[in-house]
Amino acid sequence: MTDYDELGPGAADLVRPYVITKGRGLPDEKQLSLITLVTAAGDEQQRPTSLSPEEQNLLELCTAGYLSVAEIAGHTRLPMGVVKILLSALTERGYLITRPPVQRAPLTDRHILEEVLDGLRAKFG
Amino acid sequence: MTQYIQNPVLWALLAATCGAVAVIVRQRKSARALRAEIEEIKAHYADLENSFSRSVESEKEQAQDATKSVLKSAMRTLQGLAAEQQSVISGLQSKYGESVILQDLLEIDHTNSQFGRRAQSIAVLCDGWLGRHRDVASVYDVVRSAQGRIRHFRRVEILSQVDFGITSRAVEPLALALAELLDNATSYSNPNTVVEINIRTVPKGICIVVDDAGVGMNDEERARAERLLSTERVSGVSGLGSPPQFGFAVIGVLCERFGFEVSVDSSSPYGGVRAVVLLPHDLLTAMPERQAPAAPVAVPAPAAPAGAGGPERAVAVASTADGLPKRVRKRPIAIVPDGTGGAPAGSRSGSETAAIMGAFQRGTLSGRSGRPERTQQTSSTRDASSEGHEVS
Repeated sequence: MTDYDELGPGAADLVRPYVITKGRGLPDEKQLSLITLVTAAGDEQQRPTSLSPEEQNLLELCTAGYLSVAEIAGHTRLPMGVVKILLSALTERGYLITRPPVQRAPLTDRHILEEVLDGLRAKFG
Repeated sequence: MTQYIQNPVLWALLAATCGAVAVIVRQRKSARALRAEIEEIKAHYADLENSFSRSVESEKEQAQDATKSVLKSAMRTLQGLAAEQQSVISGLQSKYGESVILQDLLEIDHTNSQFGRRAQSIAVLCDGWLGRHRDVASVYDVVRSAQGRIRHFRRVEILSQVDFGITSRAVEPLALALAELLDNATSYSNPNTVVEINIRTVPKGICIVVDDAGVGMNDEERARAERLLSTERVSGVSGLGSPPQFGFAVIGVLCERFGFEVSVDSSSPYGGVRAVVLLPHDLLTAMPERQAPAAPVAVPAPAAPAGAGGPERAVAVASTADGLPKRVRKRPIAIVPDGTGGAPAGSRSGSETAAIMGAFQRGTLSGRSGRPERTQQTSSTRDASSEGHEVS
């Protein structure tokens, strides 16, 4: 019972995640998925100083260009959901731009490929 | 004269006088003795009373000490359990960070923090364990930590920040004292009002001002608060009233033990109470390092050989504390509708552009004139390929 002091890093626990998110709820999965791309909007100078250190940290990360939500969460020590909440709050206030993930190129129909192959064989084979 | 002497009445009178004198003397003596006795009894009684009150006092103290030590050890257990639960919740939060469970985990975390704070408050009144050791933290983080320990933390707004840290020994007591102030502020004000926190630097140190828009305190309550915040407060858990009001008693103990000041004697411009916490300079320190303080130490070793390999590699090796590579700041990708794409071209001078264009032109000219047969060849192959296309 005397060893509670050794239970993990103390510094991270001082400010609990629900205070960092200010009690906001998780954003919609459609709005912000793991592979949604995020970047900072506008000038760095326009940012208000009233942002929390975590929010400023996220904005700094995002100024470099488009980063996926999963990447951003990897750079912070916060749980994924907490990062999502912060990102969606920053987006709502217009400091961040989100972009849905790039669509995967649809695979060509196997049937067509086979026909082309057959045609080529007929031609040269 | 002789006729008087022979008068028996005279003798009788004389004898009576003597008797009376004797009686008076005896009476006096006995009265004196009685008085002395009374004095003695009085002194004895006072003695008894003193020793009685002393023994009652010591008995009371003993009882209070016993209560204190029982409560202290009980709270120690509860505090330990709360801390343990908090670390379990932290683990769960990072484990299920991606799922919807996180929302509920955050709620549980909040409740657990409040529970821990209650136990901590009682422990403080019983001269018990304040909590685990904390590292140096920024004033802002300490205020947020306090904010997280009360029920209505969403109503608290921190309006300003300062670039100061709190020494590690004062982090926990200050957070607890602020939490008690915020608890009072949110409990005694309307649920839809905001409790504002302003942090200001003053010549004596730093002031943390907590304003609520509640009903304020009447004179009696104010006097009670002042008394609890001063040194002549009640000690221990007795005298907290029913239902017990811990807030100011806890803050008073913490102020005395850790050397900061709290005053609640002014009223807020919003009508409620304005509480001011004054932190003297010896509780303040420089801002702690931001996140990931270990990263710069770990990185340089691999950076040196990479730098020898190529200039672009040297840039790419910065990593976070968790060992993940950190993306280096660079130009936005072309998708971004941004003016910066044109910048490198604009930075080129006119003569440079001319030289580049000239070199390009010379190159193409020499390529065309130098190898005519090669051109032939390529055109023939092109013909061949086009022929093939045509056939199909």
